Amino acid sequence: MSLKKRLSKGEFVVLAEMNPPKGVDITRLLSSARLIKGRVDGVVIPDMDVGVMRMSALGGGVLMNQLGMEAVIHVYGRDRNSMAIQGDILAAHVLGIQNLIVTTGEDMANGDHPSAKVVDELDVVGLLSAVQSLEDGADLSGIALEGSPSLLTGCAIEAYKDDASLEKELELAAKKVEAGAEFIITPPVYDLKSFDSFYAKASALKVPIIPTVFLIKSVGVARYIARNEPWAGVSDDLIKRIRQAADRENECLKIAGELAAGLREKAQGVKIVTIGWETKLPVILDYAGM
Amino acid sequence: MITAERKPMEEIVECARNFSRVLLVGCNECVTVCAAGGRKEVGLLASALRMHFMKEGKNLEIIETTLERQCDPEYIDELADSVGQVDAVLSMACGCGVQEIARRYKDKHVFPMVNTKFMGASERQGVWAERCQGCGDCVLGITGGICPIARCSKRILNGPCGGSTGGKCEISPDVDCAWQLIWDRMKSLGQEDRYEEVMGARDWRTSRDGGPRRIIREDMAL
Ligand code: SF4
Ligand code: SF4
Repeated sequence: MSLKKRLSKGEFVVLAEMNPPKGVDITRLLSSARLIKGRVDGVVIPDMDVGVMRMSALGGGVLMNQLGMEAVIHVYGRDRNSMAIQGDILAAHVLGIQNLIVTTGEDMANGDHPSAKVVDELDVVGLLSAVQSLEDGADLSGIALEGSPSLLTGCAIEAYKDDASLEKELELAAKKVEAGAEFIITPPVYDLKSFDSFYAKASALKVPIIPTVFLIKSVGVARYIARNEPWAGVSDDLIKRIRQAADRENECLKIAGELAAGLREKAQGVKIVTIGWETKLPVILDYAGM
Repeated sequence: MITAERKPMEEIVECARNFSRVLLVGCNECVTVCAAGGRKEVGLLASALRMHFMKEGKNLEIIETTLERQCDPEYIDELADSVGQVDAVLSMACGCGVQEIARRYKDKHVFPMVNTKFMGASERQGVWAERCQGCGDCVLGITGGICPIARCSKRILNGPCGGSTGGKCEISPDVDCAWQLIWDRMKSLGQEDRYEEVMGARDWRTSRDGGPRRIIREDMAL
């Protein structure tokens, strides 16, 4: 069943994120994807995440289709103007991609092409309206299309530091939903209790909420997050749990799996992000019972 | 200089509509030179506004003044008294001036009366044209003193595109091809060989692409 159908039926969806290669060797991408074929409902393909030049999300998405897996590709305005974005959305539909996540492109400063020219013609809401307009059969100049695309389009809530910034994010999310977003991906969840209070507010948006489970790969990463994003919810107990484990790597996978399982009771889906450890996804899914 | 054009009257009228006392502030610098927002334009706009609202049977009180520079906090301070007497400020300066007023007078509405256009020069009486985009890494020294970023429609950096015809840009016969101008000038300077030098991909961080820019002069900063 397609992602769209599952979400509209209120069934829980499992997404896993995979970056296309920096180059043309697609072996790793394909072999990792094969490992979870049949176990996830969709593979989320970021588009040159964190400003690192890679094969485009459209390319990665088409590869997933060829494997018989459903792709969810990221779209944003940092690198493309309104022409390129619309053209790519038409191409995506024709090449069999059924799902988009409209996000904000991350700052180039930390990427590998910091000197590149930034476009940012369309922001998230503008881009969502563009998708809507294409689906309604006209481009942004109002010119009729010969055949219009049909896509499941989601958006993301950015990380929030406190109640005030959460309020802002939720207001913005309401605008995104109004502009056509049909589901929402949340920032990484490390603590189920704080997710509850978030969810209580976010569910007012009346679209499926899909929290992110971010695989913490080591004590170092856990400490880094705790220090630099104290609001994210990485607790001392969590750090201790990883530190004291006999097999720390396995403990990390188990934590991610437990979080995913816990979220099954609470949200409409989960997106698992493993940043380079995609081959470990089956273990996480095992722990999650998915 | 920074060039600007006065906004259409209908838009200006809508800005002023909900207020009974406004301060109309011009600027003696760039916008005076391009005849958009100097003392003279302040006078003209004030009369036009008064007349407009009189016809509607409403009385709009306008205090007129023109500052030496609106992008300079020192001069903005001079407005304190008159700002205190009004409901809103209508600024005829470029966007920098408008924002300085907004920054200094936090509880006052401020409206721009001009559309700020570009950094340019006067080509002849009554005609201004774009000359610089403030890219932050000037190449004029190697392009014969003619800017390909501001004056080539495509901002290309290594010679003209295929659309350059008879010295004109393909976007319009009214637009000079910047690369034709560059070539002609290099020829007259006997620098044809420099034209062969390839300019690599630019670092656009020095332009707006690196986010909002600022200059910090440690030797001057307090
Ligand atoms: S190269 Fe840059 S700084 Fe120099 S004139 Fe052109 S836009 Fe202005
Ligand atoms: S014709 Fe000349 S000015 Fe116009 S885009 Fe081409 S190179 Fe640039």
